[in-house]
Amino acid sequence: MGAGISEGGWTRRAMLSAVPVIGLAGCQARADHRPLSLWAMSYEGDYSPLLIPAFTAATGLDVEVQSLPTTASHEKLLTAFAGGALPDVLMLFNSWVHEFATIGAIAPVTRPALLAQMVPGILASTRVAGRDFAVPWSVAPQVQFYRRDILAAAGWDAAPSDWAGWRAMAKAVKRRRPDDYVFLMLLNWPTALITMLVQAGATMLRDRDTRGAFQTPEARAAFAYYVSLYTDGYAPMALSTEIQDPVAAFAAGYCAVWPSGPTTLVDFTRRADILPRERWSTARLPAPDGPGAVSGLASSLCVSTQTRRPDAAWALVRHLTSIPSELRYQRLIGNLPARIDAYQSPQLATAVLRPFAEQMHQPATLPPVIEWERIQIEIQYAAERIVRGVQTMDAALAALDDRVDRLLAKRRALLDAGAIA
Amino acid sequence: MTRQERAAWLFTAPVLAIIALVFVLPTSLALALSVTDYSIYALADWSNLRFVGLGNFTELLSTPLFWRALGNTMLFAGIGVPMAIGTSLFTALLLDDVTVRWKPLWRVLLFAPYVTSVVATAVVWRILFNERFGLINRALGAIGIAPVDWLGDPHLSIPAILIFVTWKIFGYNMIVFTAALSAVPGELIEAARLDGAGRWGRFRHVTLPAIGPTLLLATVMSVAGFLQIFAEPYVMTQGGPAQSTTTVLYFMFDEGFKWWNLGQASAVAFILFLMILAVTLVQTRIGRRYEWL
Repeated sequence: MGAGISEGGWTRRAMLSAVPVIGLAGCQARADHRPLSLWAMSYEGDYSPLLIPAFTAATGLDVEVQSLPTTASHEKLLTAFAGGALPDVLMLFNSWVHEFATIGAIAPVTRPALLAQMVPGILASTRVAGRDFAVPWSVAPQVQFYRRDILAAAGWDAAPSDWAGWRAMAKAVKRRRPDDYVFLMLLNWPTALITMLVQAGATMLRDRDTRGAFQTPEARAAFAYYVSLYTDGYAPMALSTEIQDPVAAFAAGYCAVWPSGPTTLVDFTRRADILPRERWSTARLPAPDGPGAVSGLASSLCVSTQTRRPDAAWALVRHLTSIPSELRYQRLIGNLPARIDAYQSPQLATAVLRPFAEQMHQPATLPPVIEWERIQIEIQYAAERIVRGVQTMDAALAALDDRVDRLLAKRRALLDAGAIA
Repeated sequence: MTRQERAAWLFTAPVLAIIALVFVLPTSLALALSVTDYSIYALADWSNLRFVGLGNFTELLSTPLFWRALGNTMLFAGIGVPMAIGTSLFTALLLDDVTVRWKPLWRVLLFAPYVTSVVATAVVWRILFNERFGLINRALGAIGIAPVDWLGDPHLSIPAILIFVTWKIFGYNMIVFTAALSAVPGELIEAARLDGAGRWGRFRHVTLPAIGPTLLLATVMSVAGFLQIFAEPYVMTQGGPAQSTTTVLYFMFDEGFKWWNLGQASAVAFILFLMILAVTLVQTRIGRRYEWL
């Protein structure tokens, strides 16, 4: 390539004088073809780049994906909104959509075609004041992953589906394996307890969702059941910072039952060397009397109100939530499609996915308040204090009600003043 | 204004302007925020902002978690400062001994943790502290001590983090003390030895008065540092177990950046500022009494 340049043709001075020109050319190029930006959490963030080439080929638009760690994503998104630095397209967990719609960070969905053929019930969680603010991307109900070999040795062919059965199974497993545990439920992850509260029939909030209602008989029943699993030694009193590799812990038999979402399928498949496929299976989570509603981390795609190219952003959302993209994602990271038509694909007809598909039709309904993310962390703190014996159940639940009342004080005042609906 | 004064103002103006812009202005804005109820609702719509006077402060004082965070911070500072300063002084004294060889090498090795990244080392220490597989519990097991749940027991989480913090930061003050010790007059120590002073007597009456000002400075800086401890619990325990490692700064971070209650968070920042100011004033007074300053 350089053969055409005559000797001495490129002096140092000539090269230096070319620098500003190249710089200007670079600016020009950036202004015209600035890539769209997409922020997503967890596996969705890590694997989104694999879905982009098809989009770029079809539209000529480049996309820059940034992967956010789940635990730090809420504050990062809020800070980005306050600083005017939101990306064009962002992923939100469905329980956050209400909050981000209220602060005006995400734009309402104006194209009804994007919301066609969704899994029933899923749009209820992304609808704020009658308008849709997000396009559901995946559903992720929790199920129980269980070790078939360990349960079989204790006399169970499959994991039980009611609370009493769960405890009876745990007792039998623990008797055979006193040094290990039965349930892998981390003490700082609220999903398991929230599911139990919903299943026990606790409304959690009262007075138009402006006060805590955690001293009701239903809430007490759920807390008592949850706490008993720890105090009886069936679940380890451990935080996510202590169990660094849950898959390895499950493979080693440290725990025999793990309530988790569909991405765990991929983790297990990827590490089949330590956890052979015949050793585990899935079943719906238990409820007081047979399977019920379950909470999970379903995710949606939203377009930011700060985007300068809404049309391109919506095009990207359409591409990522199309059935082929969702099926590809299911193969890559386990997430289940949010579009009902995708379930006609043979790819989703396996036995291990059946509990997810059944559970998907029975999602838990959570109070639609923008403080919910914070409230569920407070619920978990209260449970942790009871589990560790720092507080009695009565004291912890009274303190929880008090705390939630304070968190909702502003909402109460605004509701009374008629400033919010 | 004389010519000299004008020149002085001219030279200091850039720095004063920067200080005003990046220090005085944000601090006063934060103080202004602390008397409002700025929350996520205000982020949505400015008309939701209200002036609440001292409301944030009274609210804080009736929040159990704030008191717990304050107690945890006191524990961190109360145990951590003597632990860190003691370790620094002890290693500095060891290194100062004439019989020690390869001094520069030791200094570098002991100083090294200070310049490593907090997050990376905290992750490593989290693994070391692991109840089942951690090296520390293996070592304890070798001498017949049952495994300790370092980061999972609410009573042990602060000591565990303090062990890590001490390891991480003692090198800095060790270097400062080494410098101070080299200035202790050798003839005074010799004279004390001839007069029959023992090892402790020489340290107490010769070395300590000589390094007093340095010790005071190191203590002031350490107290201020420990009152603001955040990154270590954030990475190692996320404030747990049972919020036993939630510190004042952690509480402020959660309120302010995680939940965007900037009014409340600014009130916490103001209280923390007053605490550090008070502690420093007390220490200065002690220093004056002993004529170190």
